[in-house]
Amino acid sequence: MKSSLLTLRIQRFHKEKDPQQWIETFQVETRKEMNLLEALLRIQDEQDGTLAFRFSCRGAVCGSCAMRVNGKDVLACRTHVEDLLKKPALIEPLPYFPVIRDLVVDMSTFFKHYRKIEPYLHGKHVSLETEYTLKEDERKEIDPYIQCILCGICFGSCPAFEKDSQFLGPAMLAKAYRFLADPRDRRNEEILKAMDDQRGMWGCKTVFNCVKVCPKEVPPTHAIIKMRGGILKYRIASLFSQFSSLFRNSS
Amino acid sequence: MEILSHDILIIGGGLAGLRAAIEAKKVCRDVAILSKVHPLRSHSVAAQGGINAVLGNAPAPIKDTWENHAFDTIKGSDYLADQDAVEVMCREGVERVIEMEHWGTLFSRTEDGKIAQRPFGGAGFPRAAYAADRTGHNLLHALYEQITGLQIPVYEEWYALSLVIEDGKCIGILAFHFFEGRIIPIRAKAVILATGGYGRIYLRSTNAVINTGSGCFLAYQAGVPLEDMEFIQFHPTSLFGTNILITEAARGEGGYLTNVNGERFMERYAPHLMELGPRDIVARGAQTEIDQGRGFEGEFVHLDLRHLGREKILDRLPGIRQIAMDFAGIDPILKPIPVQPAQHYSMGGIPTNVDGETPLLGLFAAGECACVSVHGANRLGGNSLLETLVFGARAGRKSAQTVETKKQSFNKIIFQDHLKAFQSELEEIFGRKKEEPCFSLRDEMRALMTFQVGIFRKESDFLSAREKIRELKKRLKRISPKQKGLAFNYELIQYLELSGMIHLAEVIVEGAVARKESRGSHFRVDFPNRNDEHWLRHTMAFKTAEGVKLDYKKVTITSYPPKERTY
Repeated sequence: MKSSLLTLRIQRFHKEKDPQQWIETFQVETRKEMNLLEALLRIQDEQDGTLAFRFSCRGAVCGSCAMRVNGKDVLACRTHVEDLLKKPALIEPLPYFPVIRDLVVDMSTFFKHYRKIEPYLHGKHVSLETEYTLKEDERKEIDPYIQCILCGICFGSCPAFEKDSQFLGPAMLAKAYRFLADPRDRRNEEILKAMDDQRGMWGCKTVFNCVKVCPKEVPPTHAIIKMRGGILKYRIASLFSQFSSLFRNSS
Repeated sequence: MEILSHDILIIGGGLAGLRAAIEAKKVCRDVAILSKVHPLRSHSVAAQGGINAVLGNAPAPIKDTWENHAFDTIKGSDYLADQDAVEVMCREGVERVIEMEHWGTLFSRTEDGKIAQRPFGGAGFPRAAYAADRTGHNLLHALYEQITGLQIPVYEEWYALSLVIEDGKCIGILAFHFFEGRIIPIRAKAVILATGGYGRIYLRSTNAVINTGSGCFLAYQAGVPLEDMEFIQFHPTSLFGTNILITEAARGEGGYLTNVNGERFMERYAPHLMELGPRDIVARGAQTEIDQGRGFEGEFVHLDLRHLGREKILDRLPGIRQIAMDFAGIDPILKPIPVQPAQHYSMGGIPTNVDGETPLLGLFAAGECACVSVHGANRLGGNSLLETLVFGARAGRKSAQTVETKKQSFNKIIFQDHLKAFQSELEEIFGRKKEEPCFSLRDEMRALMTFQVGIFRKESDFLSAREKIRELKKRLKRISPKQKGLAFNYELIQYLELSGMIHLAEVIVEGAVARKESRGSHFRVDFPNRNDEHWLRHTMAFKTAEGVKLDYKKVTITSYPPKERTY
């Protein structure tokens, strides 16, 4: 197999060094079918064992290897080296998250936001011996949102954080909708009300960046729009029932 | 010296580890998980095809029973599985799967809204429940959501360096906070190992890069034998190039395996079940076609899904379609997928009973790192996901029961001594002159395992592998990390894991060379038949100063005396 020389300019960060940040250029021999993660592992093996980055499945299902490549946020294992051969590729850590070391970022805020939405099924009552019945169209509604691998790429592309760093974020709003749309979850209004503020569904600027960059094609903006529709309907309905009961009482 | 303390400490945050934590938490307040990656990055997330349980939801003329499931599993294991353990797994399967559904797992459904089931290899009935072809992702996220709700703490990106033993009991571990570079003892009344398999010993493996068998090595170092290690499952269909898994479900949904002549070659090897024979038989079939020149480019065969149609592929197999497109540039709707056998699952591991108890008091194990044994010499597809839940729960339950009555005597000195000893070891490692890069030994180990301890085995290959491993063990001493600090020291971790893997490789080779028969996935061209008279027994490998010492354990047979295994 033909081999080509790949040049990577990697944004490094070691807290204990001075200067702490620097861009380091590496060159590595690659085969045509190689992906960026393999190239990084090669560099770590053969050239610089201190190069820090996350990895696990190498098959684009675990979400470990998210990083910024030539300005685009991608999973390294699914990025073909072939597309990076023309000129030196700039490799940077995923934006939004504080950098711990080189390409390893601190995802604790991400998971704090995750925990905020209580992301576990609050199941309606069901017999222990049998499953909930779920219709195919109900399953299909949930399906796009359950594909999220919590890789963090959407956080890096979302402009809403510039206004408020406590904005829940695309992945979390998509996850909230995943439970809202699930007929087995008893929360319904509870979720809508919990998401009903500037840190929730109303903080979104509907630019659809997250939808464009998600490696699993999860559409958080669609979920947010649906939830906005949902809370408005709920408000109108409760307003209507208040009004009509008032009307009944007075007459 | 800082010492942390928990009642129950679980090493590994995949399906088995998380399920054990949930169960333990029901009874015991102080449960913690330690994982070298965030739990959602565990290899469980990559599982695709399905989880077996006799739900009986697939339309059929007769009712499926757990006895049928047990028989299929036992026959699939080539009669090496312990039948009482298999019965437990098959009986408890339904409860565990329904429970996962109650926790929100988005299983695919039948027309009337029940959990759908698909046919899988070696099974007489369609009983693999599935979530399209991302079953592992769905199950793992559902369990992680549960432990989030239960607020079970996770030591994320920490390593377990060794088990601490006192008076023949496991009393804790030495843990490594990778980001801060600190080694911290953690004492625990019970330690549960749920560290997964050791596929990365092989060059071609479907396993994640992180699957280095560290938990198995920790137990082995501590004097616990390893059971049936020579039984390595080679999955017939890994994507040629990256060896990423292409699920058996692709064949379950009707996919064909074809050679360069366009023949469905499984006719020769499993005339009744064809592509849905058990994995060892299909893998040998595919490899034979390749070895005998009927493969493509001398390397792979074709998995043809085109006749399934666009709609079925998008509905039932969207994940592997994405994998084929991303990693091989092929859309299976339009072209066949190039596939070759690759290491996939480790049948062997730390011996446990049905409650996850190992021979070492205070130490439990569950999931792929354990050997109960329910898979014997060959595992059926769909039984691994099942095993993680059934035995994960049982290990969690039993460990919680045992710690209830346990009074923890706290001997600080033992932990101090252990820590000092480990630090001396580290000093020695760092003090060496670096003469060899870690990756050379690692690559040599992987190549020798794939080509000499692979699908078709023979004595001469084993003997040369044994020599090579001896050499590699010596050369380990010529590796020294260039970076001397502990924090973020990937080189150190690679070295420690490589050392573990070479020892596991040695155990595998010794077990394989001693076992002069063919059974399940252990196929020897020099001893091609199964020999129940001498070899219906489990291999137990002990670490001694002179190397590996082998002993044997009887197989528990309850209902099914061994018969000829044809499909």
